[in-house]
Amino acid sequence: MKLIFLLLLGQITPIVVKAVDTPYDAGGSITVTWELDSTWLGKIGRIEIYRYSSAGVSDSLVETLYKPDTIYVDNATEDNIPYFYGVVVYADGEIFGEGRTTEPAVSSQQWFNRKRLSVLIILLVYTIFLMYFIMRARFDKNLFIRKIAGLEAIDEAVGRSTEMGRPILYVMGLGYISDIPTVASLAILKRVAFKAAEYNAQVIVPCFDPIVMVAAQETVREGFIEAGRPDLYNESDIYYLTSDQFGYAAGVDGIMVRQKPGAVFLQGYFFAEALILAETGHSIGAIQISGTTAVTQLPFFIASTDYTLIGEEMYAASAYLSRDPLSLGTIKGEDYIKMILAIIILLGALMETFSIGNHILRDFFSIF
Amino acid sequence: MKKEIPLAITFISGVLLVLALFIPHKPFGNLEEIFNDWYIIVSGFTFLLGIDSLLGYNFGKLKRKEKDAPYALVLILSFFITLTWGIVEIVRTPEHNPFGPTSTFSLYFYNSIFIPLQATMFAILSFFIASAAYRAFRAKEINSALLLVSAVLVMLGRIPLGQSAAPYVITVIFLIFAVYFFAESAGVTEPKIKIAYILVALIFVALIYPLGFVYFRQHIPEFADWIMNVPQMAGKRGIMIGIALGGIAMSIRIILGIERTYMK
Repeated sequence: MKLIFLLLLGQITPIVVKAVDTPYDAGGSITVTWELDSTWLGKIGRIEIYRYSSAGVSDSLVETLYKPDTIYVDNATEDNIPYFYGVVVYADGEIFGEGRTTEPAVSSQQWFNRKRLSVLIILLVYTIFLMYFIMRARFDKNLFIRKIAGLEAIDEAVGRSTEMGRPILYVMGLGYISDIPTVASLAILKRVAFKAAEYNAQVIVPCFDPIVMVAAQETVREGFIEAGRPDLYNESDIYYLTSDQFGYAAGVDGIMVRQKPGAVFLQGYFFAEALILAETGHSIGAIQISGTTAVTQLPFFIASTDYTLIGEEMYAASAYLSRDPLSLGTIKGEDYIKMILAIIILLGALMETFSIGNHILRDFFSIF
Repeated sequence: MKKEIPLAITFISGVLLVLALFIPHKPFGNLEEIFNDWYIIVSGFTFLLGIDSLLGYNFGKLKRKEKDAPYALVLILSFFITLTWGIVEIVRTPEHNPFGPTSTFSLYFYNSIFIPLQATMFAILSFFIASAAYRAFRAKEINSALLLVSAVLVMLGRIPLGQSAAPYVITVIFLIFAVYFFAESAGVTEPKIKIAYILVALIFVALIYPLGFVYFRQHIPEFADWIMNVPQMAGKRGIMIGIALGGIAMSIRIILGIERTYMK
C-alpha cells in the first residue's frame, strides 16, 4: 500500500516489467525482464524481485540482485499456474523505482528446442553423408585413407621394445569410459596387445578408473586371443592405480622409472599431467606415441613424444587399424563434411567482411 | 545374444540421448541427468573392483619380494590406516563425516600429506615445460625457427619487463638471422641467389630499428595478443572442428554397432 501511495505521489519512478515463459526449456521456468534508465546505473544499491501466484495475493520475495541486471530467470515455478512479478529498485536505502507485470506468465514444457535447429540440420546432413559412405564402402573396398605416421609406428614401437627386452607401457589418461577418446584409445590398445602377443612382450596398463580398467582387461585379452596367444595374457598387468590426477601421474612416473619400458603409449584424455608423463618417458629413452583430443595438451605431446595422433586422428585409429570398410566409410564422409564446412566458413568470413546477406550464416550457426 | 543385447542397449541409449538434445519436454529433457545418475551409481560399485585390483597387485609384489616391494608396503599400510581410522572416527563421532573437512584425522591427512604431494607433482611441471620448450624451440629448420620467434615475442609481450627488453631481444634475433643469411650467401655460386641472400640479410639489419626500437617497444603486448588470438586461435579451431566431427563420426559408429572395441 505504501508503494502505491508513493507511486501516486510521484516519488517512485514506474518500471516496465515483463514476464514470459522461458523459451525452449523443460518447463518450471519464467523469465522476468525490466528496463532501467541508463542514468540510474551508478545509484542502484539492490533490486528485489517479487512473485505473486495471483493478482491480489501477498507478494513473496524470490531474489535480491546487487548489480543493475535487467533480467532474472525464475526456475522455481510450477507449470500451468499463472504468476505475476514485481520489481523494486533501491538506491541509497530508499525505494527508487517499482513496477509490476500486468499480464500473468505461465511456464510450460516445449517439445522442440528451436535454438538448436541449426545443430539438428547439420547433424542430419552429416549423418546422411556418413550413411552414404558406409553404404558405398560395402561395394568399394579400396577407399583411400592417408597414412597416419603415429599409427604406422605402433608395430615399430612394440618391436623395438621387445628387442630391448623391456615391457610396453600403455597409459589411457584421465578419461572415463563415457569419454570418446577413451573408447578410441581402447581400439589402439587392442592393436598394441595384438602385436605384443605376437612378439611375446609384456603390456602394462595402469588405469585411472576401475570401469576403464575392466574394459582394458577385456580389450587386451581379446588382442592376445586374436594373436593366438591367450596363454601369454596376464590380467594383473592391467590394474587400477588411483583416481587422483597427480597421484596417477606420480604412479605412472614411478612405473616408468623403475620398470624402464621400451615403448610408452599415451593415448586418451589428458590434463596437466600430460607433460609430466611425456617428459619422464623421454628421460628413460622410450619410444613414445601419444594421442589426445585435449587441444591444450597437444603442443606438449608434440614437443615431447616421437609421434602424436592429433585430435581426430585418434578417432580414426580403430578404422585405420582394422581396415574395416564400414568404419573407413565414416572417415571418408567426415573428410567430405570437413571440406564443405571449410567452404562455408570461408563464405561466412567473406559475407561478414563485406556485409553481404544480412548475417544469415552467422545467425544460422549461432546457437547460444 | 551375448553381443546383440549390449548392441541394442547402446543403440537405444544413444538415439534417446541424441533426441534429448533437441527435445526439452519430459521424459526426454532430463534423460541425460538420469543416465548420469545411473553411471555414477554403477561406477561407485566398480571402485570395489579397483580396490581389489590395487591391493591384489601390491600384495603380489610383496609376496614375490620384487625390487619395488617397499613401495607396495607403503601403499598397503597407508590404505589400511586411512580406512581403519575412518571407521574408528565414524564409530566415535558418528555426527562427523570421516572424509569431510571437520574430521581431525582426515583434515590432517589431507592438509599435511595429500596437498603437499599434489603440489609437488604439479610444481615439477614447470621444469618439464622448460626442458620440453628447449627441445621444441631448437631452430633446426624454418618451422622451428618460426616457432621460436613467435614464442619469444609472446613471452616478451606477457612478462613485466617485456616492453623494455623487446628492442634488444629483437636486435639479437634479427642480427642472428642477418648473419645466417650472409654466411649462407658465401656458399652460393649463382650470382642472383647470392644477391638475394645478401639482400635478405640487409633487410633484417634495416628492420632492427623500426621494428625493434619503435614498433615492438610500444606494441609488443598487443602483438603477443594478436599472435594468440589470430594465428594460434585459427590453428586451434581447425583442430577443434576436426575433433568435433571425428567425435560425431565415432559416436555414430558406436551407436550403429560398427565400432565394438569396448565390448567383448
